[in-house]
Amino acid sequence: MPMVLLECDKDIPERQKHIYLKAPDEDTRDFLPIANAATIPGTLSERGCAFCGAKLVIGGVLKDTIQMIHGPLGCAYDTWHTKRYPTDNGHFNMKYVWSTDMKESHVVFGGEKRLEKSMHEAFDEMPDIKRMIVYTTCPTALIGDDIKAVAKQVMKDRPDVDVFTVECPGFSGVSQSKGHHVLNIGWINEKVDTLQKEITSDYTINFIGDFNIQGDSQLLQTYWDKLGIQVIAHFTGNGTYDDLRCMHQAQLNVVNCARSSGYIANELKKRYGIPRLDIDSWGFNYMAEGIRKICAFFGIEERGEALIAEEEAKWKPKLDWYKERLQGTKMAIWTGGPRLWHWTKSVEDDLGVQVVAMSSKFGHEEDFEKVIARGREGTYYIDDGNELEFFEIIELVKPDVIFTGPRVGELIKKLHIPYVNGHAYHNGPYMGFEGFVNLARDMYNAVYNPLRHLAAVDIRDKSQTTPIITRGAA
Amino acid sequence: MSQSHLDALYDYVQERCLWQFFSRSWDREENIEGVLNQVVRLWSGEEPLRGTPQERLFYADALPIVSDIKGRFDWASTIPAEEVKFLIEGLKSRLTETVITRSTNRELNHHLY
Repeated sequence: MPMVLLECDKDIPERQKHIYLKAPDEDTRDFLPIANAATIPGTLSERGCAFCGAKLVIGGVLKDTIQMIHGPLGCAYDTWHTKRYPTDNGHFNMKYVWSTDMKESHVVFGGEKRLEKSMHEAFDEMPDIKRMIVYTTCPTALIGDDIKAVAKQVMKDRPDVDVFTVECPGFSGVSQSKGHHVLNIGWINEKVDTLQKEITSDYTINFIGDFNIQGDSQLLQTYWDKLGIQVIAHFTGNGTYDDLRCMHQAQLNVVNCARSSGYIANELKKRYGIPRLDIDSWGFNYMAEGIRKICAFFGIEERGEALIAEEEAKWKPKLDWYKERLQGTKMAIWTGGPRLWHWTKSVEDDLGVQVVAMSSKFGHEEDFEKVIARGREGTYYIDDGNELEFFEIIELVKPDVIFTGPRVGELIKKLHIPYVNGHAYHNGPYMGFEGFVNLARDMYNAVYNPLRHLAAVDIRDKSQTTPIITRGAA
Repeated sequence: MSQSHLDALYDYVQERCLWQFFSRSWDREENIEGVLNQVVRLWSGEEPLRGTPQERLFYADALPIVSDIKGRFDWASTIPAEEVKFLIEGLKSRLTETVITRSTNRELNHHLY
C-alpha cells in the first residue's frame, strides 16, 4: 500500500508523504513517512516550539533549578504546569515560574539589563536555590541579547551559583525536537565533567530520557535501589542540576526516550566510552527484559530475576484482570513520537489491545522505522497529523480509545470517544509493572465509562433511549 | 540456510530490538555486528566476550534474543553450530540492507549527533 492521501488533504497533497498505511509484506525500505520536516503551509499542526522542547520537556523537570525564561510572560506561563512531573522535594519545579516579562521598550532598547536584574531577584528571593537555566525566546533571540555574557556576569557576582544557558528560540526548529537537541548538546559541551560525586555502588548508571511523569522515575528508582544500582543522574526526572554534571561517572547509559535524550547518550559514548542501552520502560514484558539486560551487564542476574518475580507476583494478576476485559480494544496513539513504538506492542502483548492509528508530533524518521517495524498491518502511521486528518482517520479506523494530549482529547470527547492523557497520564505512573496496571486501569475506565454514552443523549427528546453500558464484572 | 528460519529471525529482531535503530549508520553497523556475534556464541554454547563495557552490553542485548529464539522456534535447539553462523550472517546482511543500505532515513549519515 503506498502512502495515503486523505480526502481532507486534497488541497495539500504534500501531506501524502507523511501518512502510511501498513500492508502485508511491506517494510520501511519501501515506505517511510517523511518526518522532522517543516510543517506544510495549510495544515494546522499540533506541534510545539523548539523552546518548549528544551524547557517544558527536559530542563523544567529539574527539582532544584530556577528556570529563567527571557521573554514575554506567555512563554513562561504556557510551558509551566502543563506536564505533571512531581519531585520528592515538594514539587519546587511545579510551584514556581520565572520570566523576565519582556515588554516593547525592552525589545526596543535591549533586555540584557532586565535579564541580569531578574536573575539576581530570583536568587535573592530563593536563597536556598543556587542553580539556574536561562532560556532565550523568539523576541530576545531576534534582538540579539547575549544571555551567555549575562550569565557569566551573574556567576562572577555570585560565586556560589551556577548557570546554564539554552539558546533555542521557538522558531529555531520545525518542532520541539530541536529544543531537545540543543539542550542535550549544550549540556554535554558545557556542564558534564564539571563535578564529581561520591560513588556508593559497584554498579552505576545514568537513567536517560525519563521525566518522572506522575512519578515514573520514583517508581523505577525503587527497582534500582533493590538491585543495588546507583543512579548517577536522572536525565531529568526528579533529577538535580549537579547530578547531571556528573554523568561522565556512570558505567552504563540506560535510555528510555531515545528521541528527546538519545543525543546525550550518543555523546557520552563517543567522549567517555560509556555504552548506551536502549530499553522500553512501559509494559511487563519490556520492563522485565530491560531489567534483565541491565543486570546481565553488571553480572547480577539473580537480583534481577528476584525483582521480576516479586513484581510479577504482585501485579500480574491485576494486569490479567484488565487484559481479559480490554481484549480486542482498538486504540489510537497520538503523542510526541517515542510512545508510539514503546506502546504499540506492549499494549498488544500485555493487554490484547490493537493499535489502529498512530500520529507523532515531533518524531524523526528513526522513530517511524521503529514503529513500523513493531506495529500492525492495517494501521495508519502519521507524521505531524492535523485535526482534520484526525477526524478522517477516526472514521476509517473507529478507535475505542485514544491516548493523546488534552487539546486533542477535548476535540474527540465531542465525538464521544474517550481519551486518556498520553503525555502526562490520567492517573500514573505508567512505567514499570505497577505503572502498566495503572495504564490498563485508566484505559478500562475510559472504554467502559458510561458518561460518554449518556452525554450523547438529549434528555429533552423522548424518542431517544438511554444506552445500557455493559461493564466487565469484578 | 533455511529461508523460513531466516525470515523468522528477521521478523523477531525487527519487532523486538531497538539497537538496530540507533541514530547513525555507524552505530547501527556496530550494533548489528556486535550483538549478533554474541548471539552466535551464546547460541552455539561458546563463551561470550565480556572484556570491555561495550562487549558486556552486546552480551546483555544478545541474551534475551537467544532465550526467545530457543523458546519460540523448535528448530533453534537442533541446528548445528555451523548453520547458526551461516544463519546469523544472513541475518546481518538482511538487517544491514533494511536499516542502513536501503533505509531512507535522512539522518543516518549526518556526521554529528
